[in-house]
Amino acid sequence: MRSPALAMGWEFRRRHLWALIAMAGYLLALAAIKLLFLRPMEPIRLDPPDGRAAVVITPLTATYFYLLAAFSFGLAGDLGARPSIYPARMFALPLRTAALVGWPMLYGTAAVTILWLVTALSARWPWGIELPLIWPALLAAVFLAWTQALMWMPYGLPGLRAIVTVPWLATLDAVALLAIHYQVPEPMMVAFLVPQLPLAYVTACSAVGRARRGEVPDWRGMFARPASNAVLTRRRDHFPSPARAQAWFEWRRHGRSLPALVGLLLPFELALLWLAKDAPAFVFEILFLALITPPFMAAFTAWTVSQPNPQVRDSYGVPPFIATRPLTSAELIAAKLKMAMWSTLAAWLLVLVAMPLALEWSGTWSVVTERARRMNDAIGTPRAATVVLLILAGFIVATWKQLVQSLHIGLTGREWIVKGSVLLTLTFLILLGPIVEWIIDSPSGQRALWNALPLILAGLVGLKMSAAAWIATRLDRSRLLGDRALVAGAASWVLAVLALYGVLVWFFSTPFVARYVLALIAILAVPLARISAAPLALAWNRHR
Amino acid sequence: MSESVISVSELTRRFGATTALDSVSVSLPRGAVYGLVGANGAGKTTLIKHILGLLRAERGSVRVFGLDPVAEPVAVLSRIGYLSEENDLPGWMGVDELIRYTSAFYPKWDDAYAEELRRAFALDPAAKIKDLSRGQKARMGLLIALAHRPELLVLDEPSSGLDPIVRRDILGAVIRTIADEGRTVLFSSHLLQEVEQVADHVTMIHQGAIVLSAPLDDIRESHRIAGRVPSLDEIFVAHVGTPASAADA
Repeated sequence: MRSPALAMGWEFRRRHLWALIAMAGYLLALAAIKLLFLRPMEPIRLDPPDGRAAVVITPLTATYFYLLAAFSFGLAGDLGARPSIYPARMFALPLRTAALVGWPMLYGTAAVTILWLVTALSARWPWGIELPLIWPALLAAVFLAWTQALMWMPYGLPGLRAIVTVPWLATLDAVALLAIHYQVPEPMMVAFLVPQLPLAYVTACSAVGRARRGEVPDWRGMFARPASNAVLTRRRDHFPSPARAQAWFEWRRHGRSLPALVGLLLPFELALLWLAKDAPAFVFEILFLALITPPFMAAFTAWTVSQPNPQVRDSYGVPPFIATRPLTSAELIAAKLKMAMWSTLAAWLLVLVAMPLALEWSGTWSVVTERARRMNDAIGTPRAATVVLLILAGFIVATWKQLVQSLHIGLTGREWIVKGSVLLTLTFLILLGPIVEWIIDSPSGQRALWNALPLILAGLVGLKMSAAAWIATRLDRSRLLGDRALVAGAASWVLAVLALYGVLVWFFSTPFVARYVLALIAILAVPLARISAAPLALAWNRHR
Repeated sequence: MSESVISVSELTRRFGATTALDSVSVSLPRGAVYGLVGANGAGKTTLIKHILGLLRAERGSVRVFGLDPVAEPVAVLSRIGYLSEENDLPGWMGVDELIRYTSAFYPKWDDAYAEELRRAFALDPAAKIKDLSRGQKARMGLLIALAHRPELLVLDEPSSGLDPIVRRDILGAVIRTIADEGRTVLFSSHLLQEVEQVADHVTMIHQGAIVLSAPLDDIRESHRIAGRVPSLDEIFVAHVGTPASAADA
C-alpha cells in the first residue's frame, strides 16, 4: 500500500467492512427473493409508498445516512464541539490539504452515487419503475459533499455546527423537492447541482486548512457571563446531595440537547402556518408535525443519553471518572431518568408556548377553535378535554420514553448488543411495511388478526411480566435496589396502570372492546421492564 | 500492624487468551505508602481496577476496608481518592464546577484544603477542563482525589500525567503527609526511582504475577551485594530480566 489514496480508502473499507458486507448480503438476499417469489410485473406504489417498497427504501435510506456519517467522520467526532471533526491525527500526514479533503470526498460521493444506482436498479427490476439516474445521484453526492464541508469547518461557538448544517442541507433538500413538484427538466437540475460539488470542495479545503493551522475562532467571549455573575456562580452553594449533583451533571451533559433541537426545528415548522391560512387541513398537519417533533428528536438524542462514554464516541465502557463516583448504579440511572424528565418538560414547554403564539400571529387560531367547538358539540366538553389531555400526555410520555427506553441497551457497554439491536430495529422496520400491506390487502388476515388480538396482547403481557420478574429478582440479588425501592417502584407502576385503565374504561365505554383487552393495553403501555433493566445494564458495564 | 485496607486473595483475571492477573495475593495494612511497580501491561492497572470495583473478580476475592467493592461501591469509593491514568475528567466543566460537583459525593470534603491545593497547583477556577494542559488536568485530578482527605489514595501512573515540578515538589510531600496521618497510599508506576523516593513497601508485578512484595528496606537489605545497596531498577532487572521502563517496548 504505497499510495496515500489507497491507504485512506483502506481505512474507510477496514472500519466499515462489516456494514458493507451486511448491505451487500441484504441486496443479494433481496435480489434472490425478487427472483424466486415476486412476479416480475407485480404493481407497487411509491406515492404514497407501498408497504413492500419499505424493503428497499428503509435499508437504502439507512445506508445513505450511515455513509454520510462515515465519510464525514461524524461517527467518531464531537459534533457539538467548536473544532473541526476531521481527525486531527491526519493533519500530520505529509499530504496537501487538497488531498486530505479530496480523497474522502471522492470516495464518499462515489459510494452514494453507487447507492443511488443500486436503488434505481432495485425499482426498475422487476417492477419496471423508471427512476431518473443522473440528478438524484448528483443530489446525493452534493448532499454528502456539503455535509463533509460543514462538518469539517471549525466554528466559533459550541453547537453552531448543527445550527449551520441543518438549515443549509434542509434548504438544499427543499430546492430539490420544489424542483420535483414543478417538474423542472433534468438538465436544469443538473445545471443547479453540478457547480455545488466544486463549491463544497473549495469550502471543505478552506475548512480543513484552517483546522490544520489550528485556527478555531472563539466567539464565546461575546456570550460570557459578566464578571459579577461569574463570581456569583463560583460562590454557589454546595449540592444538597450526591443525587442532585449527578442530576446536574446529566442535565449539563445531555439535558439541553433535546430542547435545543426542538427549538431549532420548531420555527421552521410553525412558519408553514402562514402558508396555510386558506387550507384548514394543512393547519392540522403542521400542528401534528410540531407535536411529533419532540418524540421524534428524542429518538435521536437518546443515542447520546444511553452512551456510557460520550467523550469517546467509539468507546462503550464507563469512563473511570463516572465509574468511581460513590453512587450505586441505580442512583446513576435515577439521575439519567430525572434529566430525561426535565429535558422532556423543557422541550414541551417550548412547543406549548410557541404553538399558540404561532397560531395567533398567523391568523389560523380560528381554524383550531372551530375544530374544538365541533368536537365539543359531538362528544361533550369532559370527553373532548380528556381526549386533548390524553393526546398531550401521550406525546409527553412518548418523548420521555424515547429518551430512556434504550438505556438498557447502550449502557451494557457491549458493542455486539448495541449493533445487534440496531440491526434488529432495522429488520423490524423493513418487515413492518410488507406485513402491514399484507394485512390491508387480506380481509381474512384482518379477521384472523382481530380474533387473535387478545391472545397476542396476553402473550406480550406474559413476556413483559416474566422479564420484569426476572429483572426484579436480579436487582434484589445483586443489591442494586433495596426491598423498599423495589416495592415502591412496583406500587407506582401498578398505580399508573390502574389510572390508565380507568381512563380507557371511561373513554371506551362500548361493548365492542372487552375490559380485559383495555387492561392488557394499559399494562403494555406503562414502561416497566426496559427501564428496570437499565441499572443491571450499567452495573454489568461498570463492574466488568 | 493494623488491619488490612486492601486484601486481595488468589485473584485471577483473563482477557480472552491473555492472563492479566495470575493468582495474585496482596495485603496492604493501613498507614503506609505502597509502590506497585512493573512494566506497562504487567497488570498494575488491572489490579487497581479490581480494587476500585471496576473489574469483577473472576476467581479469588478482593476486599477493600473489609468490603467487596463491586457489591458495595458507595461504602468503598467514598473512602478512596483516585487519580486515573486515563485523564477522563469532563472537559465541558469549569475548574470551579468540577470542584463543586465532586464535593457533593464526599461528606469529608475540605473546602479550605481544596482551595489551598487549587492555589498550589495554579488552577484558574474559571478555566474549562478541556482548555487545560495535560499536566494541569493531572493536577486537577490530583486535587479532587485529595480534597476529601481519603483513607486510601490510589494513584495510577501519576508520572504519566503530572509534570516533573509537581511530581518532585508536591506529590512526594502530599504522599508523605497522608501516610504520616495514618492513611494509606497505593501508587503504581513504571518509573522505579520515583517509587523508591516515597514508598515504604514495594510490590513488583510482571506478566500478571507478583514477583516480589516486601518493605523497601527489607528488599534493599536482602539484595545487598558486597556492601553496596542496589537501586530498585537493578533489583527489578534481577527478578524480571528487563528494566520496568523498557520491558514494554
